[in-house]
Amino acid sequence: MPLVIQIQTGSSSLAAQTATIRLSGSLDTATAPELEAQLATLLAGPIKELVFDLAQLTFISSAGLRVIAQARKQLRERGGLASFVHLQPQIQEVFDIIASLPGIAIFKDIAEMDRYLAARQRTHGQQI
Amino acid sequence: MRMELQATPQEVMRAVEALREFGRAQELPDRVVFGLALALEECGCNIVQHALGRDAQKKFQVAVERKPTQILIELRDGGPEFDFTGFDKPSAPAEDEDAPGGWGVQIIRRYIDAIRYRREGNENVLLLIKQLDEPSTAEVKF
Repeated sequence: MPLVIQIQTGSSSLAAQTATIRLSGSLDTATAPELEAQLATLLAGPIKELVFDLAQLTFISSAGLRVIAQARKQLRERGGLASFVHLQPQIQEVFDIIASLPGIAIFKDIAEMDRYLAARQRTHGQQI
Repeated sequence: MRMELQATPQEVMRAVEALREFGRAQELPDRVVFGLALALEECGCNIVQHALGRDAQKKFQVAVERKPTQILIELRDGGPEFDFTGFDKPSAPAEDEDAPGGWGVQIIRRYIDAIRYRREGNENVLLLIKQLDEPSTAEVKF
């Protein structure tokens, strides 16, 4: 099963610090390197917030989780955050198994994530 | 029937997809198929990376069998003796997940009821056993 990666970044200078990544299909030992390569390109820029929309992701293994963990580490080093929305139940269970990764926020939907990010922005004095 | 695979990630996923088809044909519940597929992916990945050093010239075998109340998955490789099932939790920090076992073992243990390792001659033999809630009268080998 392939992995489809769609990346959307913001257009304003502050929004350019945030990117939404939509993953569809399978994030596994064969497809994880492609995500890793695309994240490396993305994180070479001023990205501080990554939102992973996993509505169409049907499979994830530890290979994919390692790529995500590496991205999370880079974001944390620059005071950023990786967020996850719309996890299918089987994907949520895999995240639960590894007891989640520190520095990662999982939200049930975009509205919950927006409320969290808005609160974060107030704390950090930023507007996106 | 056994599947013989080259030691590459793509071959691991070929086995995973074949297992999914087997599970669908056996009318297994989706969660069971997902768990079996994930366990096979994790084990296959460990073999490719740690037992066979990502050498595409080397091969490993996967066999799947349906018993009335169990699914059995056996993996065989000719790599150095190595039992990754002895790993409990990752010893490395979460962002340094490249050690053998680690998250993969935790994931496998969620979906598989028993994992048995043995060394047979020059081969590592790993047996994964999944108990099924509903028995079948069929015994099917893949």
